[in-house]
Parts: sequence; structure tokens; C-alpha cells
Amino acid sequence: MVNTVTKNYFLGEFVSYQITYENSNVSVSVPLEEANTDYQAIQEWAAIDGNNIIDNGA
Amino acid sequence: MALTRIQPPAIADVREPNFRNICINGDMAVAQRSTSDASVTTSQFLCDRWYFNLSSQGTWTLSQDTDVPTGQGFANSFKINNTTADASPAVSDYLNFQQRFEGQNLQYLKKGTSNAVPITVSFWIKSVLTGTYICELRDDDNTRSISQAYTISDASTWEKKTLTFAGDTTGALDNDNARSFNLFFWLGAGTNYTSGTLNTSWNSTVTANRAVGQVNLANSTSNNLWVTGIQMEAGSVATNFEAVSYGQNLERCERYFNRPINGSGQGICTAGAYNSNDAFGIYIFPVKMRTTPSIETTSGTSYYNFIGNNTGTSFDGPLVLSTGTESSAQIAFSSFAGALTQGVAGAFRSANASSSVAFSAEL
Repeated sequence: MVNTVTKNYFLGEFVSYQITYENSNVSVSVPLEEANTDYQAIQEWAAIDGNNIIDNGA
Repeated sequence: MALTRIQPPAIADVREPNFRNICINGDMAVAQRSTSDASVTTSQFLCDRWYFNLSSQGTWTLSQDTDVPTGQGFANSFKINNTTADASPAVSDYLNFQQRFEGQNLQYLKKGTSNAVPITVSFWIKSVLTGTYICELRDDDNTRSISQAYTISDASTWEKKTLTFAGDTTGALDNDNARSFNLFFWLGAGTNYTSGTLNTSWNSTVTANRAVGQVNLANSTSNNLWVTGIQMEAGSVATNFEAVSYGQNLERCERYFNRPINGSGQGICTAGAYNSNDAFGIYIFPVKMRTTPSIETTSGTSYYNFIGNNTGTSFDGPLVLSTGTESSAQIAFSSFAGALTQGVAGAFRSANASSSVAFSAEL
């Protein structure tokens, strides 16, 4: 189950998402690519009330 | 002496694919993620390309097994073992395994035209639980499906099943790299999927008609099921299982998933220290992937190392994708907390038995 989704920045540019999961040491770095199914899952997850993507800035 | 011209074979007008079997890893030989996972309650892959898909229907141990039908040339099967039963699934529960396909690989099926060809699915299966099972084809682009029932007659006995589905003259598959088509093997379902009449011809999908009559493999912890030799092919005849080398099989799987690091002391890529905190490396995929993949990594104390400038500098992970394509990924190794020397070149390697780096572009 998804715990957090955070924006990753590189040289000041938003480049990917980072997903962490509850009770897991596995983390997934997700490209900004619509054909990627993890990217699709993030969009669905973020559309649910109460789920927020963390943006700590560049 | 008169010469007689030899005519081309009658099948010359059929556009044959490189591989007759549309399914990848039908013999369950490749299992890059794991060869056994216990306490499975959510959907996941085990054997490559085969997605075990469930919602709140039992707890399972999945494994790549060596129980195979005797004398058929298979070395592995996919074993599905119930460890916590759910004898009364909720209406919306489902339990199946499936393979998903790109539309651009299936254009030769001519779906959505008057020349649509039938599809034949053959496989070996063994189950403690006898009874009716459902195999379903689903067109995701046009939300259409067709199901067939088959019977497992003898408990704990390998049986070969062959099912031929009509071609679908409605609904062309998209010619792209997205998920267009699914092959489902149902193992259980709530009444949302079983309360209608089994849909045995191509139609717009009606959920209640998808898995009518399916037994519930989750109804007892005695239930084990094995399957191997899955082949889906164009035409109305099941041909012999198409054997391919392990290397070919692995390469086909790696379009969707590859796991270069699984354990300690394994090199990931060469890299350079961008500054004292961050280093970057480029990893080239062994085959071009379906789309830009995600990077899946484990993290823990000193799971990874940057080796350079006559020293090794540990970091915990995770690895972060800074940019990528279907061919390569630029990976950021961060959080060195000032321990790197800017400009130093080196290599990244794993440093823990639980270190894992994988790239996923699954459908």
C-alpha cells in the first residue's frame, strides 16, 4: 500500500516521482511518462481525496 | 523435359510473427523477481509476465515450481498455494492470473476486421480442486471480452486443455505500446463477476458475465494449482508448445522488467560525483524497454557503495531516476552528506544481501 509520493528534482527541474510503501524498504522512482503504469497509478492515487503528492521543491 | 513451377505454400499470405506463441514465458522458466513469495494478499508478478491479480480473496504462496507434466519437455510450473482460505468471497472480490499484451504486437490477428482470425489457447494445468474454471480474452481498447469454461476432471493430475476462441470482427486493437489485450485465467470471483450468463462470444464486456461458474480456489488451504506450457496463438489449431531458449525467453521478458542487482557485490554502472552529495551514472538496458521504466530499489543502511578515488563510500538508497528513455536511465545516487569529492569517477555496486535494483515497464 502506498505510503508517500514525493516529487524528485534534478538541477532545479521536476524529473520523477518517488513512491514509498507501508512496512516496506522498497521504493520506486517513476518517470514522468504517461505510458508507464506506475505513473498512471500515481495519477489515480492522487485523485483520491486525502492523498497528496509531497513537493519539497527543487 | 518440361519444367514445373513449384508454387509457394498456401499459407504464404499469412503474416507470421517471429514467435508463434503470443504469450511470453509460457513455460514459467523466467522468474526475475523471486522464485517464491509467501503471504501474498495483493496483486503482483512472480514468474515474469504473469500477473497474479486478486482483491481480498485469500492469502497465497506463489512459487516457480518443478512439478511439471511428465514427458512434455517442461522444467517449471507456476504454483499457486492457498494458505488462508476465503470460502465466501465478497461480491466484488476477484482472483485470477493474466498476461497483458501490447496492441502493436497483435495487429496480425486482424481484430476488428472481417478477416479476424480465431485464437487458440492451450496449457497444462493441475489442481487439487476439480470443477469448472474460466479462461477469458479481453480487449481493453474496446472493452470487449469472450470467456470459455473448461473442466478440471481429476484432482492433482496434470491435464492439457485446448480452447479456441472466435475471431472478433468488431473493435480494432490500437497499434501502440499500451495494454490492448489480456489473457485471463480465473481462479475465483464474487457474484459481481458470476451472477449473469457466461459470455461465450465476443461482446461488450458485462462484468456479471465474465466468470460465471468459476469454482473458488480460495475455499480451502488444501488447494494448490500448478500451470505451465501456456500458449496463445493465431488460428483454430493448437500447435506444439513453442520452445525457445532461456536466453530468448529472458530477453523477451526484459522488455517489461529487468533486475540487474539482486544481492551484494554486484556492479550497477560507472558514475561520477556531481558534487559532494550526489553522483550520477547511466545504466543501459539489455534490451529496449516498452517505455521509460520505473526504478525499484530496496533501501537500508549501507546497501550501496560508490567506489572511486581509492575509497568506498556507502549510501543507503534509494536510487532516483533523474532522466530516462526506453534505452537507458540516468540514475541519481544521493544523500552522501558531503562525503564525495566532486569530479571523482567510480563505480556503483551493491553492498548488502538484500540490495535490489530493478527496472519495470510492465503493462
